[in-house]
Amino acid sequence: MGATIWKGAIRFNGIDVPVKLHTAVSEERIQFHLLHRSDKARLRQQMICALEKEPVPPEEQARGFEVEEGKYLIVEPGEIDSLTPESSRVIEVQEFVKSSRIDPFYLDHVYYLEPDSANVLSKRYGLVVKALQDLGAVGICTWSMRKRSHFGALQATGTTLRLWTLRYADEILPAASLGLKEAVLSEKELSIGSELIAKMSGPFVPAKYADEHEKKLRDLIERKARGEKIEIRPPRERQATQEDKLLEALEASLKKAA
Amino acid sequence: MSRRVVEINGRRLSLANLEKDLYPSYGFTKARILEYYRRIAPYMLPHLQGRALTLKRYPDGVAKEFFFEKRCPSHRPEWVKTAQVAINGAEPIFACVAEDLETLLWAENLASLELHVPLARAATPDRPDAMVFDLDPGEPAGVPESAKVALILRDLLSRMGLESMGKTSGKKGLHVYVPLNRTEATFEQTKTFSRAVAGILQRHYPDLVTANMAKEERRSKVFINWSQNDAKKTMICVYSLRAEERPSVSFPFTWDELEDAVRLADPALLKVLHDEAVRRAEERGDRFRDVLSRAQILPHL
Amino acid sequence: MAVRGMWSGTISFSLVAIPVYLVKAVEPGRISFRLLHTREYSPLARRMVCPEDGAAVGWDEIVRGYEAGPEQFIVVTDEELASLSPERSRTIEISEFIDLADVDPVYFDRPYYLVPAKGGEKAYSLLVEVLRRANKAGLAKFVFGEREYLVAVSSRDGALAVITLHYHDAVRSEEGMAPKEAMAPKEAMAAADEAEVERINGVMKAMLGEFDPAKYADSRKHAIRELLASKAHAQAPVEAPALPGEEAEGPADLVAALEESMRQVKAR
Repeated sequence: MGATIWKGAIRFNGIDVPVKLHTAVSEERIQFHLLHRSDKARLRQQMICALEKEPVPPEEQARGFEVEEGKYLIVEPGEIDSLTPESSRVIEVQEFVKSSRIDPFYLDHVYYLEPDSANVLSKRYGLVVKALQDLGAVGICTWSMRKRSHFGALQATGTTLRLWTLRYADEILPAASLGLKEAVLSEKELSIGSELIAKMSGPFVPAKYADEHEKKLRDLIERKARGEKIEIRPPRERQATQEDKLLEALEASLKKAA
Repeated sequence: MSRRVVEINGRRLSLANLEKDLYPSYGFTKARILEYYRRIAPYMLPHLQGRALTLKRYPDGVAKEFFFEKRCPSHRPEWVKTAQVAINGAEPIFACVAEDLETLLWAENLASLELHVPLARAATPDRPDAMVFDLDPGEPAGVPESAKVALILRDLLSRMGLESMGKTSGKKGLHVYVPLNRTEATFEQTKTFSRAVAGILQRHYPDLVTANMAKEERRSKVFINWSQNDAKKTMICVYSLRAEERPSVSFPFTWDELEDAVRLADPALLKVLHDEAVRRAEERGDRFRDVLSRAQILPHL
Repeated sequence: MAVRGMWSGTISFSLVAIPVYLVKAVEPGRISFRLLHTREYSPLARRMVCPEDGAAVGWDEIVRGYEAGPEQFIVVTDEELASLSPERSRTIEISEFIDLADVDPVYFDRPYYLVPAKGGEKAYSLLVEVLRRANKAGLAKFVFGEREYLVAVSSRDGALAVITLHYHDAVRSEEGMAPKEAMAPKEAMAAADEAEVERINGVMKAMLGEFDPAKYADSRKHAIRELLASKAHAQAPVEAPALPGEEAEGPADLVAALEESMRQVKAR
């Protein structure tokens, strides 16, 4: 179990449930640094003035909102701070909705909730889990955390509560705006395609898929450290299936899967 | 507030504030703006095709403040097409792409009087279709001086084997386009070429031309803004209205028309208002269409 | 329509390969500001600077290094990275199909769309339609940038949606989160608790609504917009200075040709 990253209370209609948030996902990957090609010195990131081509210290930096090319409204740091929501430590449930699943495009971050046992009210945790499951509902909540306002979903899985942050609706691009055109397909192509999918279907076993790339990358670094020469292999691209060969490719695929 | 729902190509569009006068000292309502864009659309749409649109919106008319929007408003209808554009390696944004009448009128319903577009299409943002010379006169210089420079520019380009076409900016300036329409062309090339051309003109006509951006250098001279040849920059689209006192239009001219204007010393010949724009376009078609099709190579690069 | 992808390659299942672009499906709606120099209001650019001489370093002079020890770096090139899985850097190869409903949402990371490239429209439509009919998602791995992603490809409103998935070992166990008593079987629940569950359930029922994500908007973003609108009234925007007129020169060959043409124009 990871460290607590935030503490607060779930609240609905005056009922408080004190909880602690834990991250549900932790990814560790190989970190690289950016180096100067000539002397391998590690580079620092700085803000450079386009006019003077010199680094500009933070106290000489201002924030501007571009209203027109090259024209800015200057926004003082205090002005933005005053709009930043204060952390209230309350995750307010606005409503409950009957939902087995939320559209995955809305799901952003997920936290596991642990009852904050320092507070006696946390005994309600288990009851809320049960009540949510009995009702088959999730709670839609709003709160502010770390200077940002969030919108999210409170969900019960098994014996645990999860809190999702959700993306705002206007942040999601509808598929319709991609301007795709539907191609004409024959029933034969569709039925062979469907059969092929059925043949290639199985249960989702996440443990089957490991990040092999990361292992290979560690291996590569070790070999380079030993001074070994690395053989360069060009990327291999599949030849696109031609439109008039689609049926043929589907039939051959089906034969192969059989 | 008046609202009217119209259906265009099977798509419903709710138009609001139709009686609002957006050019108050001239008298030109939103209804008439929509009507202008409806009639000019057949000539204008090809120039908007595939390009990330920048909307310059004047919700309270030309005398009041405006918004400059590169991001396609999130309240757009589903059928408004968008393109992802990444500027300088920043997080890509979604820009509107107006390829049909309904999208154009939707944008105008937002009081986007001016429509600005990049010189490249969204699919190939580093490949300009044309090289441009943005002639911007500094007071007291004006249209006559710009016209003189445009004619010198045409002659110089023509000696270099390049055909060019012009349009008015709709304000005091003129825009000279050199169509390229070749996938190999890059902004680096168009910038290098246009900068060298601007430098030569400045050297030969130091009292008339400057290639220097500094404001004080631009007084009473025509500034050849070569730096518009850049993936980040946009130009006013041909046939777009301008947010001037009167509804003027960025309109194509022929070189003969420009010579006449210089000979007769009548800059008014180059000022095209909305009604004149529609009349001329319907009579003669799109005089700017070659900009989209003529393929040329920049020599000596 | 022309969409510029962040990645292009092919998506394949068995012997069918479809040329596609990967594009974003979400766009953080944050209002973006530009950093400016307080003196001149010229925009600032984020650049990598050499600590030795304080000079900005161009992208072609930058390499990627792994820190093997203090000030000891092992350089890894783009080509070496691409060589790790040459078959995965240009192809999203679906290895099997699953029910997306079987995937614990905790695995979901970021959504994208695929759009067909020229010539791929028909096979793309086919995959969209058969996935929709079967209500399945394809699982695949592919390499993008420095990482290898596990993705689920599904049908969404006539398009192929891609959701990157967290790897199994990155997802933490929920064990130890819930209190012991919550694990107790239902019969063991005290009568007082039963009544409390009833009460909580009643409150929840009273608060039942229809989920409409569009109802919830980012209040901070809205507040910043209002601030900017009122500022636009109160103050004129500052103008960034034009960059100094760089010497208007060019390649010697071009300048010479232009000079010659100019001479001819003037001689007329």
